Amino acid sequence: MIGLVSYLAFFATMASILAIATLGLNLQWGNTGLFNGGVVAFFGAGAYGTMLLGGHPETGQFGGFQLPFVIAFPGGVLFAGLIAWIVGVLTLRLRHDYLAIATFGVAVAFEAVTRNAEWLTGGAKGMRGFPRPLEAAIGDNFLYGLFFLGLVLTILVAVYVGLERLAHSPYGRVLRAIREDEVAARSLGKSPARLRLEAFIAGSMIMGIAGGLYTAFYAFVSPQDLAPILTFQVWAMLIVGGAGNNRGAVLGAFLIWAAWTLSGFALSRFAPAALQLHAGSIQYILIGLVIVGMLLWRPQGLLPERIRPTLTGKGAARTSAPGEFQGGQNP
Amino acid sequence: MKLKTASLLAATAGATLMAFSGAASAACPVKVGIAYPTSVDWGKPIAETALWVAEMVNEAGGVDGCPVETILRDTQTDPKVGVDAAKSMVDLDKVQLLIGAVSSGVTIPILTSVTAPAGVMQMSCCSSTTKLTDIAKEGTSKGLFFRTFATSNVPAAVTAMAAKDAGYKKVAILYKNDDWGQDIGKFVAAGLKAVGIEVVANVAITDNQPSYRAEVTEALGTQPDALYMALYPKEGISVAREWISLGGTTKMIGANSLKSDEFKDAVGLQYLGDFIGVDNAAPRVDSATAFKEAYKAKFGSEPNGPGLANSFDAMAIALLAYSAAGNGATGAEIAAKVAMVTDPAGEKVGGDVEGLKKAMALLKKGKPVSFQGGTGAVQFDKYGDVSAPAVIWAFGEGGIDEKRYLTLEEVNAFMATLQ
Repeated sequence: MIGLVSYLAFFATMASILAIATLGLNLQWGNTGLFNGGVVAFFGAGAYGTMLLGGHPETGQFGGFQLPFVIAFPGGVLFAGLIAWIVGVLTLRLRHDYLAIATFGVAVAFEAVTRNAEWLTGGAKGMRGFPRPLEAAIGDNFLYGLFFLGLVLTILVAVYVGLERLAHSPYGRVLRAIREDEVAARSLGKSPARLRLEAFIAGSMIMGIAGGLYTAFYAFVSPQDLAPILTFQVWAMLIVGGAGNNRGAVLGAFLIWAAWTLSGFALSRFAPAALQLHAGSIQYILIGLVIVGMLLWRPQGLLPERIRPTLTGKGAARTSAPGEFQGGQNP
Repeated sequence: MKLKTASLLAATAGATLMAFSGAASAACPVKVGIAYPTSVDWGKPIAETALWVAEMVNEAGGVDGCPVETILRDTQTDPKVGVDAAKSMVDLDKVQLLIGAVSSGVTIPILTSVTAPAGVMQMSCCSSTTKLTDIAKEGTSKGLFFRTFATSNVPAAVTAMAAKDAGYKKVAILYKNDDWGQDIGKFVAAGLKAVGIEVVANVAITDNQPSYRAEVTEALGTQPDALYMALYPKEGISVAREWISLGGTTKMIGANSLKSDEFKDAVGLQYLGDFIGVDNAAPRVDSATAFKEAYKAKFGSEPNGPGLANSFDAMAIALLAYSAAGNGATGAEIAAKVAMVTDPAGEKVGGDVEGLKKAMALLKKGKPVSFQGGTGAVQFDKYGDVSAPAVIWAFGEGGIDEKRYLTLEEVNAFMATLQ
């Protein structure tokens, strides 16, 4: 029983961290229509930034300032924002697939830097030894797991509430206007370039929050954590959950991560012994089937975007995928 | 806010349940967790080898008279997935022994966030990074971690020995830019300094570059007596060719990765007369040969993939230690018995059904054994690392000529002089 609680807490912690990253992507793609193909770069910037500021010093390596978590963590998030600002200024003039390729390139470059800049990141060996917040004070491993889950959930709820309010504020409406028709938004006196950059930085900083929590959770980070598969996972979560809907993003994160891990658990439990060796490959097939099935049956996601009626009563619930041009339907 | 309430509830429930956590129970069958990347081509045979050992242990009577039930989980070489798999095996299946993983980037978070905090013993076949030694030194692993893959310090020390014997005074180092290359490059530099040789250049070689002229020129400018290369054949060939064509010395030392006909043919034997190669030797012991034969009989092919002998030994030693500690032992109790299984003074036992049976009988009586596995008589130091014998070789007309074989004892004696 205690094992089950301990495992579920562990699972929920990782799922919540991924949900935070998915919320960040939802702000960029779901609300603003920015195709970020380099989620892992900003996640990694948060992770490495936090580790650099809060980790132990290592011989021949910069960093390891051993700052307390309350400073190191925001520092990592700011670092993610800084990277996003530089990347955004350089690439946000690009649209859709071009932006996706450019940001994907940034992610690959970021991974290459962490692998090679040994004086800064420890190289391929990674960085370790992050003192987990309040671990010594709590002591017990099981209770600490629950405490950390509480911390992550609190941050998830805070990010969720913040983004919900943003989405329903005039600012959120402008972001959606840019997503639907940039020219129209500009003609109304809005500055799409600035707003796109702001949304990109804010979304990337939310991904940085996820990265910082991830580092704190494992007390370790290496270039292996920055493989492109993470970008894919977060995208799958957003699309399955429902792009444009924050609740959908959280739901998608929990569902996809459950499919990812529980399929392995179920196979190890129930698959015949002869198949055990192939369970890993079967697991990949199952994950792929879930995603493809979702795209076929519910392309708008489990919880599609819903636009609240405005004061004039226009703009009722709409179920199209964001980013899609709406032609003459818009009021 | 619902979520928050749920977490509070969970915390309260957890605190109530705290009283019930604790010692492992003696259940039959004995569950052992394995986290290897089975969905990767080279990972599957590593996992297959581990399952084969479990089969043999069961044939030999099982752990403490109880059959072993292996739970195999795929890590996908993704740290998140590997750690989750390990956590589920530790928490839900209550394993006290976890075998895995292959990549250091997966092994370390499993160790620091799952097995060490839960007091579960972990043994890896194939993680090479020195970070694991540092973690053990720090005390984070609580003596629960072992690995059967020799770290790069043995070949590095032997490299220093060979360079000293050859009378070199100034050596330039070129290393492959990954965790293996970064490690071995650093060890070789330290080893050379320890024997009084000056390291004049230390240059990283990144894979897949069209030319290494800049790197080679940098090393050449320091006018070394000899060049050390920890490179793979592809990059090694380009580097060696540019080095020689720019007038560099033919006095070269190479790591085991250059032990290939491809390298010899592409560089040309006339330039390799002074080449010295260093390798972790496959040990000259009957047990290593026996492992090869048994593997061929079982799978119908030579054990040529990476880490197979290491995987075999990891699983066998861990299960023997489990057997010695008895069914119902905790991870720490199993880890404490590892020394008894790999005691050089103990009776020698082989890695087949007969040997395992004999070993378990002796261990039951409290007598130590010396397990002779696929990588020879493995012996762990206090950080859970192993050493291996080494060999110095050269290129000859017929292929690779072995110049000198250093037993584990000689290697250890030389390494002791370095400290």
